[in-house]
Amino acid sequence: MLYRTAGQFKTSYKADQALFPVRQDAVLLIAILIVAYVIFPLIASEFAYQTLLIPVMIYALAAMGLNILTGYAGQLSLGTGAFMGVGAYACYKLITIFPWMNPIVAILFSGVFSAGIGVAFGIPSLRIKGFYLAIATLAAQFFLVWLFEKWAWLYNYNASGAIQVPNTEMFGIYLTGPLASSVTQYYLVLVIVSFMTMLCINLTRGNLGRTWKATRDMDIAAELIGINLMRSKLIAFAISSYIVGVAGALYVFMWKGAAEPNLFDIPLSFQVLFIAIIGGLGSILGNYLGAILIVGLPVVLNLLPAALGLTISSALVEHLNIMIVGSLIIFFLIVEPHGLAQLWRLIREKLIIWPFPH
Amino acid sequence: MKHFTKLAAAAVLGATLGTAAVAQELYAPNLAYRTGPFAATGIPLMNGQADYFAMLNARDGGVGGIKVNAEECETGYSTEKGVECYEKTKGRSIVTQPWSTGITLQVLPKTNVDEIPILAPGYGFSPMADGKVFQWAFNTPSGYWDAASMILQYLQDENGSLDGKKIAFLHLDHPYGKEPLPLLEKKAGELNFELLPIPVGLKEMQNQSAQWLQIRRERPDYVVMWGWGAMNAGAITEAVKTKYPMENFIGVWWAGHDADLKIVGADGAGYKSISWSFPNPEAPVMADIQKYVVDAGLSQSNPEEMAGVFYGRGVVISAILAEGIAAAQNEFGVAEIDASQLRWGLENINMTEERIEELGLTGMVPPFATSCANHTGHSGGWMLEWDGEQFVKVSDHMLPDTSDYQQLIADKAAEYAEANAPWPTNEDCNVGG
Repeated sequence: MLYRTAGQFKTSYKADQALFPVRQDAVLLIAILIVAYVIFPLIASEFAYQTLLIPVMIYALAAMGLNILTGYAGQLSLGTGAFMGVGAYACYKLITIFPWMNPIVAILFSGVFSAGIGVAFGIPSLRIKGFYLAIATLAAQFFLVWLFEKWAWLYNYNASGAIQVPNTEMFGIYLTGPLASSVTQYYLVLVIVSFMTMLCINLTRGNLGRTWKATRDMDIAAELIGINLMRSKLIAFAISSYIVGVAGALYVFMWKGAAEPNLFDIPLSFQVLFIAIIGGLGSILGNYLGAILIVGLPVVLNLLPAALGLTISSALVEHLNIMIVGSLIIFFLIVEPHGLAQLWRLIREKLIIWPFPH
Repeated sequence: MKHFTKLAAAAVLGATLGTAAVAQELYAPNLAYRTGPFAATGIPLMNGQADYFAMLNARDGGVGGIKVNAEECETGYSTEKGVECYEKTKGRSIVTQPWSTGITLQVLPKTNVDEIPILAPGYGFSPMADGKVFQWAFNTPSGYWDAASMILQYLQDENGSLDGKKIAFLHLDHPYGKEPLPLLEKKAGELNFELLPIPVGLKEMQNQSAQWLQIRRERPDYVVMWGWGAMNAGAITEAVKTKYPMENFIGVWWAGHDADLKIVGADGAGYKSISWSFPNPEAPVMADIQKYVVDAGLSQSNPEEMAGVFYGRGVVISAILAEGIAAAQNEFGVAEIDASQLRWGLENINMTEERIEELGLTGMVPPFATSCANHTGHSGGWMLEWDGEQFVKVSDHMLPDTSDYQQLIADKAAEYAEANAPWPTNEDCNVGG
């Protein structure tokens, strides 16, 4: 009914290969973008920005980076948290060494450093696969966090060993640091995340994306049809780490404001990996759905008892929260092992052929 | 997707409506951690804090005739949850109690913008003592540099001189553990002792065999520990196992938790911990808590916990906050004070011996006073020793030698202000410090 495609004729190859061959998809996306760009800033409170909107987008971006590598190119990585850390520390060093540098440029440029590190740790992927590669990336995770702790130059020899985001401005508006307003940071994150998403959608449906999928599905067959595996895997590592690095820089500069090395430890890697898996490997939309479920839902659940007028101790709410989110994850994975994105894909299929299923 | 947007919208609505609710009470939320890896140490502290305010509300109708709502917001010691709690409560709270160094680090830069005092009793960033720079942050009654200074003094008194001694500094490899290093390094040069920093990674907290192997090899005269959570129990059991003389093992106040020592019992006898609080079951305030809170069934605590160091410390922390509230109420003549008035109150706490008696906190906290330049108070404390069953005082009231690190505080505070420029300082404050 809502998704009836009758009457939408494609008369050229160009139209047939468009980003949204079904008109309703485009309408839905425009609606979401309007909500994100116009409606949310009008109604959102400080709390909503800081605990829901900004973190969900940043985690979704990090998961998107991981998804390029794991979901599209099939290389399992457990080092996402550390690569986010590389982005964050690179951005911190750039801004403190070159205080005149535009913070947006610094954030986008810091991804280059994590891309470099990502490629270096991606080299073993040429010889090892699957769980063995996961262990190699785990080594990156441990090594980099250790480096963040021990290499005092990285945190400018602060006694506390933590990095603090300085106040930086552009055109008289504070972009980072405690003086920056949440709306500014929200828009900045939104623009960067929208841009990266567009980039990822187009990359994954183009030549490169097909190369990655071939590498993922059967590397020997891919090699036989002329795909250079080394190139394909290393480009996947580079692009994935770049996006993850930018997400890491945003994570500290646009949201947290301060970071200590253990922030980038393995729980962060797992959290991002879970978002990617529960959202759906090999999907862009899934990262957002996963981030909403894993990052956004617990915050909303925490508010529920108070909103309903129940007085439950906050420790109990936390326990209930862990149980509810945990069982939801299990529920969704049983209902649809391919993730939330696949669930949406099925719903959409059903809507298109409704009311006449095959 | 639609389902989730609805939920998100509901959350946004809930958050905006939540701040609109007005009630006749002082909202002093506590970012508690009764869950997660540090819950064992968090629960007694939180119970002590909650019980004290419950007692005041039941006995006196709150502070200055207005009830204090000491609601807890659970963080599980995670910085992300901490920020969530901070954002949730900051709309109408008069104080923030962040309870973890990580959360303090994140909240501290925002204080000049949000203008809510941070109360971090005995933890956080040591240069917060400089009230001219850190207008909104309070680490009353003692900071980590006070602790390091008192421990060194105690050792000096015991030996006459520390010349040529070797002191191992076993610490959590984390902002918290590194906090006293600048002072210890400085004193090592002055007093001519050898300082041997031994970091314990967050992942190695429970298994410190490598660190204790190093201690056994190096044979330090003393081991000073800056540990937290599982690290304390790990170090104490490891010390007993390697037969390190317990009387030469001294911890900071967060490493003096009864439960950690009950594991080793009599084998731990002699272990010391410097502390600015002491659990005195005979104190009148404990009787009042028993009468108004425990007997009324409002407490989550138990008699064993209530006799412990950490519960007593929780009571003291809430008493300090209540003193700050009372000072502000007296000055401004209103019961329902706001955050900036409480800031004045916390800057003008005067905990004299008489006042401590009056509050019924006999022997639980040393006297101290704060000012706009001195946000710590440098109360000093007592050396506590584990006698095999409980902690007992083994020293008189000790005072830190603040002249040693006054300059260090000023330097580090200035450094922080510069890194976070523009950082407004309190120019009206003319008190020396």
